[in-house]
Amino acid sequence: MTGITLAVPSKGRLEELTRDWFAQNGLTISRPGGARSYLGAIEGLPDVTVRFFPASEIARELIRGNIDIGVTGRDLIHETSETGPQSVAFAKTLDFGHADVVVAVPDAWIDVTHLHDLADVASDFRSRHGRWLRIATKYITITRQHFAKAGIAEYRTVESLGATEAAPASGVADIVVDITTTGSTLAANNLRVLEDGVMLQSQACLIVSRTAGWSPERRASMQSLLTRLSAETSF
Amino acid sequence: MTGAALRRANLESLVEAQGATRATPPLLLSADPYFDLAGEEFGRRLLLTTDASGAEYCLRPDFTLPIVADYIANGVGEPAAFSYLGAIFRQRETGAAEFDQGGIELLAQRDGDVALDQVLTFARAALSIFGVSPVVRLGGVGLFEALLAQADMPDPWRSRIRHRFGHTEALDRLLTRLELAPDLPREQQLSRDALVADVTEQMVAAGLSLSEGRTPEEIADRYLEQQALDAAHVPASTLKLLRDYLAISGPVLQALTRIEGLAAEHRLMLGAPIRAIRRHLNGLGEARVSFDASFSPRLDYYTGIVFEMTGPNGDVLASGGQYDRLLERLGAKAPIAASGCAVWVDRLEQEVRS
Repeated sequence: MTGITLAVPSKGRLEELTRDWFAQNGLTISRPGGARSYLGAIEGLPDVTVRFFPASEIARELIRGNIDIGVTGRDLIHETSETGPQSVAFAKTLDFGHADVVVAVPDAWIDVTHLHDLADVASDFRSRHGRWLRIATKYITITRQHFAKAGIAEYRTVESLGATEAAPASGVADIVVDITTTGSTLAANNLRVLEDGVMLQSQACLIVSRTAGWSPERRASMQSLLTRLSAETSF
Repeated sequence: MTGAALRRANLESLVEAQGATRATPPLLLSADPYFDLAGEEFGRRLLLTTDASGAEYCLRPDFTLPIVADYIANGVGEPAAFSYLGAIFRQRETGAAEFDQGGIELLAQRDGDVALDQVLTFARAALSIFGVSPVVRLGGVGLFEALLAQADMPDPWRSRIRHRFGHTEALDRLLTRLELAPDLPREQQLSRDALVADVTEQMVAAGLSLSEGRTPEEIADRYLEQQALDAAHVPASTLKLLRDYLAISGPVLQALTRIEGLAAEHRLMLGAPIRAIRRHLNGLGEARVSFDASFSPRLDYYTGIVFEMTGPNGDVLASGGQYDRLLERLGAKAPIAASGCAVWVDRLEQEVRS
C-alpha cells in the first residue's frame, strides 16, 4: 500500500486553523460529509486519505503507528505515553494552539516560589498532614516525569478531567499541574505559576509517526507531502 | 535437567535453604500502600486494575511490602526471616512486565551486622548459580547521615540536604544554590502574626480550607524559616566537605581511607559507620567492591548500608541493604531492624546467555 493517512483535529478552532494552515500551503482539505463525517481528502493528492479525529486520539494513533502524519499538540504526545516523543518526529511547529503545561500553587503559599520549595513542602507533608501532597492534573505522565527530574517524589496525583483550576478550592487537591495560555484562569482561581514552573511549552505541530510501517514507496510519498508543506524531518 | 531449569532449581534450593519462612503473598494487592510508601515515581511502574467499587489494585510489584505488612499485622517484636521466589509485575522500558525475583527479608534480628552478612551471602550465592562474579557497589546511608548530623550548618538545612541524598542532580542543584547564596538585602519583615493574618485572608478569599491542607501558620512559619535560611549561610568549608565527600567513589578501601581523611580534617566522628562497612568486606571475599558516597536508593526508609551487585552486562542483578525505618513507615510503633535484598532472575538468566 502506498497511501498515506493524514489525521486532522475533528472539530472546533483547532480544525479550522489546521485547514487554514494547509490552505496557506496550497493544499485544500475537503470534508465532503460535513462535520459529521470523519473522512476527507486533499484535492490533487489522491494518495492521501484525511481522517478527522479528536486531538488526543491523533496523538495516540501517531504513537502506535496507525496513522502516518497528523496535527496535534506537543503536550498530547508527551502525555499519551512516556515513549511518545521517541515514537514520532516533529516535522513543523504550526504557530497556533500555544499553551504551557505549568505547576501552580495557591497564591497564599507565599513561601513557595520555586520547585525546590515544593520539594521541601512535599518531603514533610505526610508527617504533618497524614497524607501526601495532592496534585490535580490531567497531565499525569508529564507531571511524573518532570517531578522525578526535580527530585520531588512524595506526592499523589489526582486525575482531573476538567476544571482542574478549581481543585484546590474544592479540597480535591493542594496544587495543580494545568495547561494555560495566558495564566488568567489560574490567576482568577488564586493560583500562581512557580517561577520555574513551566514544564512544557506546547503548540500545534505537524507530526510524523516513526512507528508506522515505512516502505520505500510510502516514505517517498511522505517526503513529497512534507516538501509541499515546507516541512522536514527524519522518520 | 539442563541449563535454565537446573539453575532455576538451584536458586529454588538456595531460597529454601535460608532457614526462613517461605512467603507467597497474593498476586493481586491493594495499590494504595505502594503509592503511600513509594509515591508516584514508583506508582507509574505498577500494573493497575480497579474493582467494581473503584478500589485500585495492582499486580504484585515486589515482595517486601506484603511480607513486611503481614509481619506487622501479626504483631511485631519476634525476629523473623522470610524468603521468596516468584513473579512480580512492573512496567519497564525494556523487558516483559512480568518477571521473577527471589530474595530474603530479615526482620527484627538481634544483630543487624550478622543479618546484613546473611543477605550479602545470599545475593552472592544466587549470582554464582548463574556463574556471575559481580561488581559490588556499596553505599553508606548511615555514614552520610552521621556526617550530615555533625557538619557545621544551620539546622534546617540538614533535612533539606538529607531529603535530596540519592538524587544526584537535585542535591547538586541545592549545593550550587547554597554556594551562590547571595547576600540579599533583607526586606522589612512582617511579624509572624501579621503574616498569619495575611495568609489566612488570602486562603479564605481563595476558598481554601484552613485545616485540610497546609495551614496559615505552617505557611507563615516556613516563609520565615526560608527568610532566615537565606540569611543563614552554610559555611563554605561545609559545602566543600559535602562536595568532596559526595565525589568519593572507587575501590572500597581507598574510598574509606579518603573518607577517614576528610573526617580527620573536619573533626568528624565517623568511626562507627566506617567500621560497620569494613566489617562486611571479609564476607564479600574476592568480589570487586566499590564504595560510592553518593549512592542511595531514593526512599527515605533505607538506613545503614545499601548495596547493588552488577554483572558483566552492567545490569543490576541484586540490590538491597538495611532499611530500619521501613516497618515504622508501614505502621510499626518504633524502628525495627530490617535488611534484605532482591535478585533479578531474568537479568541473571540474560547474563548466562550473553
